[in-house]
This record gives sequence, C-alpha cells and structure tokens, in this order.
Amino acid sequence: PPRPAAPLLPVPALLPVLAALAAGAAEARATSEGQLPGAAAMGTGTPPSPSGTAFEETRLHVFTLDYPHVQIPFEITLWILLASLAKIGFHLYHKLPSIVPESCLLILVGLLLGGIIFGAEEKSPPVMNSDVFFLYLLPPIVLDAGYFMPTRLFFENFGTIFWYAVVGTLWNAIGIGISLFGICQISAFGLTDITLLQNLLFGSLISAVDPVAVLAVFENIHVNEQLYILVFGESLLNDAITVVLYNLFKSFCQMRTIKVIDIFAGIANFFIVGIGGVLIGILLGFVAAFTTRFTHKIRVIEPLFVFLYSYLSYITAEMFHLSGIMAITACAMTMNKYVEENVSQKSYTTIKYFMKMLSSVSETLIFIFMGVSTVGKNHEWNWAFVSFTLLFCLIWRALGVFVLTQIINVFRTIPLTFKDQFIIAYGGLRGAICFSLVFLLPPAVFPRKKLFITAVIVVIFFTVFIQGITIRPLVEFLDVKRSNKKQPAVSEEIYNRFFDHVKTGIEDVCGHWGHNFWRDKFKKFDNKYLRRLLIRENQPKSSIVSLYKKLEIKHAIEMAESGMISKVPSSVSLSDYHEGKIKPLSPTEMENMREILTKNLYQIRHRTMSYNRHSLAADASEKQAKEILIRRRHSLRESLRKTNSLSRERPVLAFCGVFG
Amino acid sequence: PGVPRGSAPVTSLLALAVTSEQIEHLHRRFKQLSQDQLTIRKENFDSIPDLEFNPIRGKIVHAFFDKRNLRQESDGLADEITFEDFLTIMSYFRPIEMNMDEEQLDRFRKEKLKFLFHMYDSDHDGKITLQEYRNVVEELLSGNPHLEKESARSIADGAMMEAASICVGQMGPDQVYEGITFEDFLKMWQGIDIETKMHVRFLNVDTIAHCY
Repeated sequence: PPRPAAPLLPVPALLPVLAALAAGAAEARATSEGQLPGAAAMGTGTPPSPSGTAFEETRLHVFTLDYPHVQIPFEITLWILLASLAKIGFHLYHKLPSIVPESCLLILVGLLLGGIIFGAEEKSPPVMNSDVFFLYLLPPIVLDAGYFMPTRLFFENFGTIFWYAVVGTLWNAIGIGISLFGICQISAFGLTDITLLQNLLFGSLISAVDPVAVLAVFENIHVNEQLYILVFGESLLNDAITVVLYNLFKSFCQMRTIKVIDIFAGIANFFIVGIGGVLIGILLGFVAAFTTRFTHKIRVIEPLFVFLYSYLSYITAEMFHLSGIMAITACAMTMNKYVEENVSQKSYTTIKYFMKMLSSVSETLIFIFMGVSTVGKNHEWNWAFVSFTLLFCLIWRALGVFVLTQIINVFRTIPLTFKDQFIIAYGGLRGAICFSLVFLLPPAVFPRKKLFITAVIVVIFFTVFIQGITIRPLVEFLDVKRSNKKQPAVSEEIYNRFFDHVKTGIEDVCGHWGHNFWRDKFKKFDNKYLRRLLIRENQPKSSIVSLYKKLEIKHAIEMAESGMISKVPSSVSLSDYHEGKIKPLSPTEMENMREILTKNLYQIRHRTMSYNRHSLAADASEKQAKEILIRRRHSLRESLRKTNSLSRERPVLAFCGVFG
Repeated sequence: PGVPRGSAPVTSLLALAVTSEQIEHLHRRFKQLSQDQLTIRKENFDSIPDLEFNPIRGKIVHAFFDKRNLRQESDGLADEITFEDFLTIMSYFRPIEMNMDEEQLDRFRKEKLKFLFHMYDSDHDGKITLQEYRNVVEELLSGNPHLEKESARSIADGAMMEAASICVGQMGPDQVYEGITFEDFLKMWQGIDIETKMHVRFLNVDTIAHCY
C-alpha cells in the first residue's frame, strides 16, 4: 500500500497526544520535585501547576491518579479488550454469526462507539490512523492467510488469479474512473470541478478487492476451495496494481504536464513493485528457514523468528514502496514448507495459535475502527456521486468478471461456470484498504476529499453489509459446490499420490509439459538443493508417511485415554470394552500412562524422522513405542473382525481439534 | 498424413471426442516412440527419459498393455499396441466437456475409475487384495531410500483397514475382508471429483520432449 505523503487526519493523531503526554509527565515530575514548572526546559507554555509558587511545599500524596502517564498503552489495551469482548458477545447467541458475518456486527459496534464519543465530546472521534492500519493491523492478517494458504491449489490456478488481479483491477479502475468523469461533466450534479485524473485516482482506490473483507465473509460460507482461492488470491495479488495505480495517478494529479515517458515509467513501476515485493518475500523466507535450522538448542524463541522475518519482509517492501502484501505472502508461503520441519511440535503449535490470535484481533480492530471513523464531520453528501459510484462499482465488476472469464476459459482445463463467475463477481468486497487509502489523499490536491470519503464509506458498507449478508443464502440457492471438510485418511493420501504419478507418467508418455511436469521439476530441484540447505535433519519426506504418523499418534493418545493400552488386549478384555464394562484406571495410573506415551510419542516422531537404524541405540523406550504400535494394530484388527462398536470415527473426531 | 492402416477404427476414435488436431499430435508422438513402426512394445517406453523417475513406472506401462483397458474381450496382457490402442488409453484422460449430462458424466467417471482400478488390481481378478495394496504402497514409497519395508507395509495395512470400515462397516466375528471390489472402490472415491482432476492437457504439445 502506498505511503502517506503528509500527515492526514483532523483529530487526535499520535503526535499531539505524545506532546500532551510529555507535557503532562514533565508537569507531574516538576510538581513532585518542587521545581518551578515555568522554568522547566520543556517550554510548552502550560500554566503553572495548581499547587502554587515554587517554594510552597506539598504534602505527601497518599493516593495519586496519573492517567497521562499510561494513557497510550491504556487506551490501546482498552480498545483490544473491547474488540475481544464484542466477539464473545456475538458468539453467545450462536445463530447470529451464521446469518450476519462478524464484520457487520463489529462495524455496528464501532458505529455505536463512535456515536457515543461524538455525542460526549462534540468532536469527531479518532479516525483510524492510516499508519497504524498499514503498519500494524494489516500485516498479521495477510501473514495468517499466506501461511495457511493451500499452495498447490494456488499455483494450479495462478494464471487465472493473476489475470483477474491485474487485468481485472485495471479494467475496474479505468472503467469506474472514466464513467464517473462522465457523470461529473453533467453540471446539474455540481461536480464539475473534479478532474479526470482525480476520478481515475478515485477509481483506482475503490476497485481494489480487499483481502480482509473477503476472508471475513468467505470464512463462514465454505464454498469449494477453488472459488475461494480465486477470489482470495485475487485480493492479495491486486495489491501490486493498486499501489502502482494509486501512486501513478496521485503523482499525475500533482504534475503539470504528463509525458508519454511517464506512462511507460508507470508500467515499469508495476513490474518492479510486483516482482520486487515477491523477491524480498522469498529471500527473507529462505533466510528464516535457514535460521531455524540452527535453533534446536533454543526452542523457546523459534516462533519469534517466523514473525520477525515476515514482518521484516513487509516493512522492507514498504520502505522501497513495493508491494508489502505480496512480500509478506511470498515470505509466509516460502517459510511454511521448510520451517515446519525444523521447529519442534510445540513451536509449531505456538506459531499457529499466535498467528491466528493476532490476525483475529487485527481484523476485529479494523472493523471497529471503520465503524468509529465513519461517525463525524468528515462527510460531504452528494446523491449523484455516491449512488453512481456504487452503481458503477457493481456494473464494472460484473462486466469485468464476465468478459475476463470468457477469455481465460479458453486456457483453462476446467472452465469456470456461470455460477462460479457470479460468486466471483459478488465476492468482490471492498474494505479497509480503500478506506485507508482515501484518507491518505492530500487535501490540497483534492478539495472534494470529503466527498470521496463519503462515497467510499457507502460502497464499503454496501459490500460488507448487503453483499456479506446475502451471499450465504445466494450460495445455497445457486447450489454452489461447497468444500467437503473430510477427515484426512491415509488411503486418500495414497490415492492422491498415486494419481499424481499416473498423471505425470501419462504426460511424460505423450510428451506434454504440463503443470505436473513443472511441479515435478521444482520438486526435484527442491529435494536436491533447497532442502539440504534449509532443513536440519533432511530426510526425504513423504506426505503419506507423515499423514500416517500423525494419525498413529492420534490413535495412540486416544487409546491411552480410553485405557486400552494398560493390558494386552485379549479377546476377553475387548468384549468387556464392547459391553461397556471397562474398568477405569486410577488417576495415577493414567498419569503414568500419559507420561510414558508422551515420551514415547516424541520418540516415535523422532525415530521415524531419521530412518537410520544404525545411529540410534535400540533402547527400551523405543521397543516400547514399537510395542504400542503393534498392539494397536492387533487390537484394531481384532475389533474390526468382531463387532463395530469400536467405531474409529468418533474418538478420532474428538481429537481432531487437538492436532488441527 | 500417415494415418495408420485400418482407417475405419479412426472414425470410431473421433467418437471418443479427441479432436483431429490432437490425434495428429498424438500420432506424431506415437511415431517417435515406436521409431516409425506400426506398433509399440514395452521396450519402447524405456526411451522416455522422464519416466525413469516415476515410482510407479511399471504400473503405468503395464496399463497401456492391459487388455481390459484396451476394451478387448479377452484378458491378460497384449504384447504390442497399435495407434488405435494408444488413443484408446489416452482417451481415458480427456477433459470433461461443458455439455455433458448427468448420465454421461457418470459413465465418464466410471470409466476413469475403472482405469485406476485396473492399475491397482494387478492379477486381474476384479479385487484389490491386501497383498496388491501393499505392492502399490511399496512402489509409491520406493523413491524414498530410507523407508523400511515394514513401515510401507503397516501403512498399507492401515489404509486397508480404513477401506474395510468404509466399505463393509459392520463385520461379523468370522468375516474376513477379502479385497476391495470395484463397487467399494467407487464408494471410496466418492468425495473426490475425478472427472475434473483426471485429464491431461493436450493443447500445447508443440514442445514434444525428445526420446533417445
């Protein structure tokens, strides 16, 4: 996202607050030390403290209230606390989140708060500082999304995503800009002072599909992964275009003459912004992976590296005015593959949960701030401009998706159906990014800035509320294919792997270099060079084996919890179990069991990671681990041959949450 | 140009909905593989360099010569295949068309799954037994030199048990699970939409890889 050229907003931005804070602190310290407040070197010009002249002593204060001292952290904490409490509130009534997406409710809360502040203080409430948004609130969300992105699906659809992101956003921006300019020419609306360039700039900032909003809405409706990745991928990749267009038009607005060379510079800028961002991300991702190779002695700070490096990639890209979103996404996707194998299980869990927590808090704060910032004196209402903006956004988006899909369908193996196109068009939600961008407009160049702000807010509210609420019934009405969240099964993994090889083989036979070919080539390169460099104990990994191990661990834990490991499962004990006459183990026994199991489970993982029998001494615990696995297999085989009351599905589902 | 002998079958090939342009491409490839002969034998597949690295290479090559895939009445393995047979095998991988109805889609899907089933079922008895399944998993994991055979076997066993629980569910005390039949196989692949996944793009075959 583009960087601010000048400080922006009307009301308490950070600087005056800091100054007041400093003044307050100086004052407090001055009074307690009995010095002359006026003589203090602050020179802030505040009146002397109410305690009187320099030589009057003050009695010892038994109880003091010093709010200015902690004002900033206090307020931040209160905001975050409020956001989290609001979230709890929504989920108390469990039907609510399924009808209305959380984002809407949060904006409503923000509106309420803004209204209260406005009413109480008679001035506009603190508007969301664009710096805070772009530097602190946006990165965690994008990091979370990028880290857990299904990379395979993303790359399979990369062409389509790229096409929509670049060409689609360009189409939207220019279309909206030009049509709005046409409307502005009609003198009846009183908009003739808005130039073409200003309209184009407005078009470019409002055409950006927002990843935060898309995530917030699509999270609940569970469309099939292909659709989700198309819309979400587009929202991530269009950041590059948005940065370029925004800066381009903004500079054009401020330049007197525009030469052809400037347009070419703009195009070149696009490539630099996009590719540069991605390169920074990948580079830092590799560095992060390399770092984690050496962290096995200090496991505790492993998660820190993940967060530090990804944030570093974001702000480095921002420093060069490249696309920070693409940088952090590329970094997260690169790190994910290698870091996962280097860090311990606990670190991995920590990373996952902390990331989710950060992104959740960020998202909540963003929506609340949007609500708060809406209330106030920043608006100028003009029926024509606002309604036509909204209309054009919808029309151009629909047209754009339709036309682009016709073209891209020629190149796709699985063409996108009409239903898909509708969902893609309808899922083009605007959100906080356009909101922040519009606040960044320099008012000197844009005398009608308030009009723009109003229009943007209306569009955002429309997309988030109306489209956000209605998309779920629409998805059901259109019978769009939903994602089937099935539980991972080893057999399925085997089939998938088998299938990949069959496809690759057939492609080799008919001499066709398809997707599979490139993926295979990358895998070979990866195995030969990258993994050796970046992963500590590099054993060739098989997804089948790792999935199998994961399931084994799950089963072993579940068996320990249900007390089956305690004795050799004889047929008597099994029938006992089936008839529900199992003897519960005493807590100390369970504790021992659990302890043995955890120790051995780590051993199992450790052992099977390095399949070299000669390096590890076969000690008793290893034998025990093997025993556990063998017994489980026996017992399960027995149970399968008998009745079906040991249903595997139920206990496994209960532990699905533990292992994610 | 260079249409193989017996051009009558070619018209039936057009019914397989492989376009004539694709047929030409594939014919060029066929000639490359067969070294300008009319038929291909198993040895000809050795000349494809990239196929060497494929862990299930054996099964893939085998699938080309499997008479069940070639829609012939008899059973067993053919010694050599003609261009028509080559196209028949390739037709299993054609993409779906937009204008197919439910019944056609279903038949399409069954065909593709049957092809896969034949790859698993190496002894042609219509069932995937435990031994055959183990064989498949071992081959799949054969690219990994550090994996013990024991692990591969236990993975296959685990998968087989999952299959049993999906397909048969409730089993009596003396029942033994014989093997995965084709109906069971269909059940297991129910969640995965094979029609869209199992295709190869024939579009840009101008970069035809060279054989030795």
